[in-house]
Amino acid sequence: MSALALLGAFGTLFVAGYGLLTLLVRRETRFSLTEQIAFSWLLGTGAVSLLLWIFGLLVHGALLPALVGIVCLLLGFVGWRRMVPLPPRSAPKSFEIFLGIIIVIEIAVVFYLSFVHTLGWDGLLNWEIKAHYAFANGGVIPATYFSDSGRAFSHPEYPLAIPFTELWLYFWLGEADQFCAKAIFPIFYVVGIFLLVALGRRLAGRTWIGLLAAAFLFFVPQITVEAGSAIGGYADFPLSVFYLATIGYLFCAAEPKHDAFFRLYAACLALLPWVKRDGVILWTVAAACGLCVILATKKSYRYLLAFFPGLLIICGWRFYLSAMHAPQGSDFLPVNLDSFASHLYRIFPLLSALLAEFHDLPTWSLFWFVVAIGIGYLTRRVRDPRILVLIASLIVPIFLYLLIYVFSSWPNYLDHVGLSISRLLMHVTPVGFLIILLGVSRRRVKSPAPVHERGVTCTMTGSERTPVVELA
Amino acid sequence: MTVRFSYGRIAHVLLWGGLAVASLWVSIPKIYSGVTQNPLHSTGPLHTCDSYLKFATGASVAAKDVISIFQSTTASKRIIIFTRKDDAFSSGLGLTAAYLASPHLVRLFEINGTHPDNELSKMNPDDVAAVVFCRINRPTWLPAGKVFGSGLEVVSMSEKVRR
Repeated sequence: MSALALLGAFGTLFVAGYGLLTLLVRRETRFSLTEQIAFSWLLGTGAVSLLLWIFGLLVHGALLPALVGIVCLLLGFVGWRRMVPLPPRSAPKSFEIFLGIIIVIEIAVVFYLSFVHTLGWDGLLNWEIKAHYAFANGGVIPATYFSDSGRAFSHPEYPLAIPFTELWLYFWLGEADQFCAKAIFPIFYVVGIFLLVALGRRLAGRTWIGLLAAAFLFFVPQITVEAGSAIGGYADFPLSVFYLATIGYLFCAAEPKHDAFFRLYAACLALLPWVKRDGVILWTVAAACGLCVILATKKSYRYLLAFFPGLLIICGWRFYLSAMHAPQGSDFLPVNLDSFASHLYRIFPLLSALLAEFHDLPTWSLFWFVVAIGIGYLTRRVRDPRILVLIASLIVPIFLYLLIYVFSSWPNYLDHVGLSISRLLMHVTPVGFLIILLGVSRRRVKSPAPVHERGVTCTMTGSERTPVVELA
Repeated sequence: MTVRFSYGRIAHVLLWGGLAVASLWVSIPKIYSGVTQNPLHSTGPLHTCDSYLKFATGASVAAKDVISIFQSTTASKRIIIFTRKDDAFSSGLGLTAAYLASPHLVRLFEINGTHPDNELSKMNPDDVAAVVFCRINRPTWLPAGKVFGSGLEVVSMSEKVRR
């Protein structure tokens, strides 16, 4: 029975997401099946959690999931009428099949790990707690939860994409179930894998490079087995997948007539601050990158409207919190010039802590070293605005994250860093893989297949100094 | 199809191949130990709370019983939770109890030592639904509550406080 309920919950999420995908893509561009699945999930979780929150302001009880379910089905109907075209099939090469088998095994291991581990501490007390309380209160988080100073430890101010995706499962299951709630996290891992494969093909022009990058994601211990990894019920890995989609498709959107990519970028951008509070920083960086692309490619100013949905979510959530009298987080001092000046001495210890984190091999293996080499490869192409955007989208959030520790209110701010920096770095890890795969593809044998046959590529072809984006 | 070899291309392949092998060399032991270390936990709806309570107190499948004690008390009153400073287990138990205490409001007290007499004596028992002691000694003047394993005791204030 639980399996059927989970199937229903996931099915409606995918259906709603697919409907939104078809509305955004408008049959303009071919998307591979893996991309369609990935975006259906990302847009579905975003839309359903937002709908539960917004409708929850008006109704609660059985009516709430019923209303959201109806919207999901309507979106599904739209999706069925306007299906996104698939690219023509081509037979996979044996090396690609081999890598595919490795990835399937890795995904199975991630599912296994997810179910043998409990939810992590933050996964339970920051995220699942909101789903649990909302479910017990007819789908709406009780007002007393926000005003209860005794539960300030659970950060009532954190946004609801993950908790309300769990809540959607609970509605289908008929009970709050911490074990079943864990099912959504390996799906985010699968979606991350699918996006890496798809972006590998689009950016590097070769499927095997995307598959290789996806296979290596598993071998970053912070992603798979460390505290706060993809399986612990934390919002960090889902946020990293949204960020990967945002930046990856902004890269593809830099060419003219690629509006479908730009709309996908805008949709994922809007959801960043809805997944985690730190998503506001990623939103700022990704929006600045989007602005650079708009200016560099001389797109119309109407593209600036892409920033509006994210701003609406940020402001809407802030307004809601103040209306509910939610406490402000107490981990940071007020951000102003005075506190910045008085804590400026922290900069060098923070940089030192960051460097120590980069070469923490049990946590990151050689990932950051390999990323540094990838950046080295790309510096010769840095005049390409897309490369600049990609590098900036990796580096700028890291420095902004580091900067916020200047305002840490913990007695020992380095303890604060030690506890959370690895999870914050995880947000940009998949984008690091995009840099690596572009580095690997630098000297590649030109594909014998005509570009139009490969169908889904947004490929950097020819000389590495004069990248050309092609779209079938 | 002809593939042209050059020193640059060979160096490129060797560099990335070497990095891939080195990454696997560093990662695999860590991933392997992560995959093989964890036995399957219970699969109930409160599986994470149960696992933590079992870990911290030794009590099996205790979360449901803790909830039923809280549910038997007046919902409009507060749950008071005492934890010990510098004791991660105590703090974890306190947070787990706070999670389970919904829909009650909660108040967490982190105290030095193991005797919360001072804090308790200042409280009005009429405002309190239950008191939770997480690796803290219950004052002898308070009636005994339900004990879960070693270190967690929940005293429902529906019983008369003898003081």
